[in-house]
Amino acid sequence: MTATSDVEPRERTETPLHTVGTSVTHDDFVQKVRGSLAYADDWSLPGMLFGRVVRAQVPSARITSIDVGEAARLPGVVAILTAADVPNNAIAEEASGLGMSPVVMPVLAEDRIRYQGEPVALVAAEDPEVAEQAAELVMVATEDFPGVFSPERALEPDAPHVHDSGNEIVEWRIGRGDAERALRDAPVVVEGTYRSQRVDHAYLEPEAGVGWIDGDVLTLRVATQVIEHAREIARILGLAESRVRVIGTYMGGGFGGKEDLTVEPHLALLVWKTRRPVKMVWSRQESLLARWKRHPFVMHYSTGADRDGRILAQRIRIVGDGGAYPLLSPRVLFAAAVTAAGPYAAPEVQIVSTAAFTNTVPSSAMRGFGAMQVVFAYEAQMDRLARAVGLTPTEVRERNFLREGDTIPTGERLDTHVALPEAMHTALERLGPRPEDADGWRVGRGFACNMQPYGRARYFADSASCWLGLEPDGSLLIRIGITDLGGGQAASLCQIACEILGVPMERTTIHISDSALTPPAGGTFATRQLYMSGNAVLQTARELRERLLPVVTDLLGAEPTDEVLFAGGQVSIRDPDRSASLREVVRECERRGVDTAHLTTFHAEAGEFDPRTGQGKTFPDYTYGTHAVDVAVDPETGAVRILRYVACHDVGRAINPQRVEGQIQGGVAQGVGYALSEEVRIEEGVNVAALFADYLIPTSTDLPDIEPIVLEVGPGKGPFGARGIGEPSIAPCAAALAGAIADAIGERITELPMTPERVLRALKHAETAGGDGSA
Amino acid sequence: MRKSPIALTVNGRTREAWVWPHQTLLQVLRDVLGATEVKYGCGEGVCSTCTVLMDGESINSCLMFAVQAAGRSVTTVKGLAQGEELHPLQESFLAHDAAQCGFCTPGMLLIAHEFIGRHPQPSREEIREALAGNLCRCTGYTKIIDAVESFAMDRKDPASTPPAGAAPR
Amino acid sequence: MYPAPFEYVKAAAWHDAVDLLKEHGDDARVLAGGQSLVPMMSLRLASPTHVVDVNDIDGGTIRERNGTVEIPALARHAELERSPVLASVCPLLAEAAGLIGNVRVRHRGTLGGSLAHGDPSAELPCALLALEGTVRALGPEGERRIRAGSFFRSYFTTSLAPSEVVVAVEVPAARDRSGAAFVEFANRAGDFAIVGVAAVVHLDDSDGCRGVRLTAGGISDRPVDLSEPAAALLGQPPNEALIADVAGAVSESSDPRGDDRATPEYRRQLVGVLTKRALHRAWRRAAGAEP
Repeated sequence: MTATSDVEPRERTETPLHTVGTSVTHDDFVQKVRGSLAYADDWSLPGMLFGRVVRAQVPSARITSIDVGEAARLPGVVAILTAADVPNNAIAEEASGLGMSPVVMPVLAEDRIRYQGEPVALVAAEDPEVAEQAAELVMVATEDFPGVFSPERALEPDAPHVHDSGNEIVEWRIGRGDAERALRDAPVVVEGTYRSQRVDHAYLEPEAGVGWIDGDVLTLRVATQVIEHAREIARILGLAESRVRVIGTYMGGGFGGKEDLTVEPHLALLVWKTRRPVKMVWSRQESLLARWKRHPFVMHYSTGADRDGRILAQRIRIVGDGGAYPLLSPRVLFAAAVTAAGPYAAPEVQIVSTAAFTNTVPSSAMRGFGAMQVVFAYEAQMDRLARAVGLTPTEVRERNFLREGDTIPTGERLDTHVALPEAMHTALERLGPRPEDADGWRVGRGFACNMQPYGRARYFADSASCWLGLEPDGSLLIRIGITDLGGGQAASLCQIACEILGVPMERTTIHISDSALTPPAGGTFATRQLYMSGNAVLQTARELRERLLPVVTDLLGAEPTDEVLFAGGQVSIRDPDRSASLREVVRECERRGVDTAHLTTFHAEAGEFDPRTGQGKTFPDYTYGTHAVDVAVDPETGAVRILRYVACHDVGRAINPQRVEGQIQGGVAQGVGYALSEEVRIEEGVNVAALFADYLIPTSTDLPDIEPIVLEVGPGKGPFGARGIGEPSIAPCAAALAGAIADAIGERITELPMTPERVLRALKHAETAGGDGSA
Repeated sequence: MRKSPIALTVNGRTREAWVWPHQTLLQVLRDVLGATEVKYGCGEGVCSTCTVLMDGESINSCLMFAVQAAGRSVTTVKGLAQGEELHPLQESFLAHDAAQCGFCTPGMLLIAHEFIGRHPQPSREEIREALAGNLCRCTGYTKIIDAVESFAMDRKDPASTPPAGAAPR
Repeated sequence: MYPAPFEYVKAAAWHDAVDLLKEHGDDARVLAGGQSLVPMMSLRLASPTHVVDVNDIDGGTIRERNGTVEIPALARHAELERSPVLASVCPLLAEAAGLIGNVRVRHRGTLGGSLAHGDPSAELPCALLALEGTVRALGPEGERRIRAGSFFRSYFTTSLAPSEVVVAVEVPAARDRSGAAFVEFANRAGDFAIVGVAAVVHLDDSDGCRGVRLTAGGISDRPVDLSEPAAALLGQPPNEALIADVAGAVSESSDPRGDDRATPEYRRQLVGVLTKRALHRAWRRAAGAEP
């Protein structure tokens, strides 16, 4: 096992790539079209029980009693658990370098209910219907407890406390220079307040899993992005961490919603108590009600510039609604703070990014992770600035784009290429001439640029391990702990291994997501998987190849300086043309006692961040892109039709171009929903409509053909110079659409989602009040 | 309350099951008959991951009770392939990368199959409309429409249909 | 997630269904298409002890007789949408049915079921009111006819008596030189409409408007008859300005409810816009200028 720092980003390959860079499919996709892939709910064991969560109906209360008598008497009920049955009833979060959060989240509510949907009890029964019936019969008696339902209110000194330690979850301060003074002195200042809403991941596969005891190992087979939660499960049960095994299934979507614990602790407790296999599947409505959401943000921006539109200072205040428990709030608000000024110069800057507790469903990870919400704000500011100084939106951005070598507000130097001028111009060129208004609809065009981090913050000292083994017949086995949420995470790793070792894709098998059996690679989040696990596979494959090389050279009778090609299941040299099969190579290795398996760990470059100064190392790198869109607005109804949508990102290197396109298109679709129609509506902590019928994700007719443009101009830090693409494409959508709608109606909407009703209101306001010059 | 026996055809095979009246067809297909390729996504008839063909017509299996399917014929996505050989529509999905997480894919394939059967030469917009009831959260639909369109065009010209099992490069 | 247990009974004929409903009272529900009932049961919003499946009842076919179109209650939305009879003599009903949900819902959902469900945002109740259709209901006392205007009472409430079922619907066949249109607005394709408007325009030989019907769904607790303000079109050839006036009057006089889908103001705006569009299209169709 070896450790190494960041792989040299500028990969020089003499020979053309044969597998990386091709749009080859993989076995898991074949299973998906066959319908034979076993998702978490597609798994059953004999004697299996069915688990159900009893959830709080009110957002804030004190529990006075829990009566399980009637429920327990229902035939077929095997167990009912409450807080007292949980050995360690606390899930604690490491709050991003500030030490452990003083606030812990109980697995089952003990004396207080802090959000509607909070788990209070668990039921296991022989049939799922009985479990549901029993859950309804559990009587949770409560008395009112004052709650607080908006973060602004929560941060007031006299607000009711969600937790005894106060309502502030975290406050990040990032700054350099004297932004206040710079703003005072700036010839031009544009201000804006922007509001984003609470949204749901709305993956089609609800949370699900099966747990059982295997020997003395508690085993969970669950739809999760993070199999490392096994340790958390062990802690909750009071078991040695080695006695819990989590097997992650291929997910029907994750997007951050399966990043924190979902069914795992409930399953584990029921399995441990009943000693029988237990399945738990959350209903869609339960998922909409009670599972973590994206943070709603309120963002106040003051941007100061000179008369040529060059930004001099930014003062940014972000307040995020963290809901009732911390979860990943500190990290989300951190990512927001680091990227709040956008991919633009900000010589003097003051960013304050705060998350507050409220008595609502907790907010945590969702694709984009804080760095998404801020795009809606900073791109609006850029367009406002353009108008204020008489520049076009492209000119003002060109004047301010960060470049390789510039520093961002945290003081870090960007050490890869910033392809924003290319992305912006390419996207707009692809749109071509503006369409004319037609049939009474008003056409508008907008675009937005963004930067999205890939890889975890450096102070986590991230790592990923990979094991590769060549089998005697020359086929390849890959073992790596990643989880696959549908974006071809596993498939791309195969391509990388095959590229280096020359094994054909169809003779490669990858085993993933098993905390007992696969080397840990970290969870699939933070757009880290290609960067971390891709590099782990690349590194392991390269080192293995290095080890094989002396054997190969001998076999082929080659000179040590000859270039050996590994491709198509063969090793070969030219002049003279000689080749051998990988099977022969492995046989020879066996003969010589050379190990054809290898395990390495890839370590990301670590770094320190000082929360007091707001300076230091944050994210390893960013993916840059621009989305450009043409819309038509119906001035009578406010309906927005997207005529064309172009999404351009520099991914450094596309391991699988078709799949990269698919990631971009999928991100755009989610971004459009976020921009125009999705909202989890909660009033005073009560969810007003937890039906899928009311949660409006885009259908095929709500989207045009999404046109992805994949640029490979600036190598990143991933394998072969790749950059992550999972999150970047969701983030610019709302801003691009806001710009396009503004262009059509004459006013920029600053609150999400931009529903037809909101658009109509803005349009009428523009007509009466003259608009804000957006058109 | 007692279970009653029903017999129905699933992908051409007669299957029998003892079911309660309150069990939906979705539940029985998945939990009793092992047809886990039919998915639970919402239980409201909104997402359409539970799509099956009932006597050749697409329905939401979460909105029908199993007892109503007695004597009827159900086709799931597993009824498309011929053993190992994928249906050309499935091949087209693979060739166009039309599945990401794959959860909507069974329903999408069935609805596309039904639609093209009824409208052999659709426009791209007609395909887009036909898929509007099947939610997808991963792909943005573009590649799904590409796959269906390509399948429809290849059907007109069978010579251009890719052979079963071809892995695209 | 799972419906509560119930006794399941199949009715062989409508009178069987009525008998079963009478026997079990409020705890019995009719299962026709199931597209509204089954999800409600899955969500435990409805937990009948008895479910009466009427799907095997043979109600006949859609047909026209002597100027009246008879449609069996169990006609599926997809059948209405594709029916050549309706296309010819009652296109409004076909158009309205085609806007319902998605193709799967239309394969199963029934006319009778939709009417009996009484969702104020639904398309078929609104269209039936515009057509001044009649619901034929069968109860323990026998069959009776209920005019559309008296059928829809309030949210999910009709004038059906507890043991009554809808067995058929009658609508007048469209007259020559008449045109109809159904226009709705939803935030997303296939969703429940926020507001829907049905319009029927009948022209005389000199293109003057001799009849107009206008109804709207989604603005009240039941479909609303707006034919009175629309009557301003009578007696002269319609034109854009007159239609716009009617639309304005409808909008101003409407007092829609608000809910989490839309505010009253927005519904008011929508009903005006959709009135304009529906009347315009109906007029154009009556004049033969549009299919």
